Amino acid sequence: MSRNHSGRGQRRRRPQRHKDVLHTQGGHRANDFRCASCRLDVSLNAPGTAHRNHCPNCLASLHVDRKIPGDRDADCRGRMEALGMSVRTDGEWMIIHQCATCGELSANRIAGDDNPLALVRLALRPLADPKQASRALLTL
Amino acid sequence: MSSHTTTNTLSLSTFACAWCGLTVSAHAADGAPRNHCPSCLHSRHVRDRVEDGPSDCEGRMSPIAIAVLRTGDWMVIHRCVRCDELTSNPVCVDDNQLILMRMAVRPLAQPPFPLEAFGTL
Repeated sequence: MSRNHSGRGQRRRRPQRHKDVLHTQGGHRANDFRCASCRLDVSLNAPGTAHRNHCPNCLASLHVDRKIPGDRDADCRGRMEALGMSVRTDGEWMIIHQCATCGELSANRIAGDDNPLALVRLALRPLADPKQASRALLTL
Repeated sequence: MSSHTTTNTLSLSTFACAWCGLTVSAHAADGAPRNHCPSCLHSRHVRDRVEDGPSDCEGRMSPIAIAVLRTGDWMVIHRCVRCDELTSNPVCVDDNQLILMRMAVRPLAQPPFPLEAFGTL
């Protein structure tokens, strides 16, 4: 009984089991990012674009670039929400993002795997409110 | 009363639109300061958004999109054709509703994917 008790006290803690999953920087998620709004893990390869800059599910972005895409020059790091939809002269849709922290605006091309429902909801947002849209239509 | 009216008339300021050349009063009918032409909605890059002072760009800003605030009010998103700066300005009551509505429905004229699938949702 006493030997049993002393044996339990002297037993060393089992060393931590080795993990081969890399969560650190440069690990298996080195090139991915997690969306700041909906927490979806997104890979950087976007069909149709060379540079992914917003979440394909909720269209939110992060304020990391200042002027040139990919320069990582902004100090804000705030979450950027999709504000409106614009169209280029060649018919390509652009999402207007606004930073929730500093109010900066940016325009970004849509990607091939963006959620079509979220895109159409964003494009229809001016027409969804009956007050402004009907006033505009009635004064035409 | 009459002197008050005279002062208002003397301080009435106008600007010429950079795109259509229309002479526009700098204040709307309800007294709000105007920052874009009510006829063609073009603006001019005179205020720096970041430093909140006068900008030295002076480029023409063309309207590219309509954004909706949480209150339901419409904002016009302008882009400077010289330096690609984006600004958002509230719409005025006497703005050209045809151009506003044309910008609002513009994405639906050229959808990047067929919209027929949304009929079954």
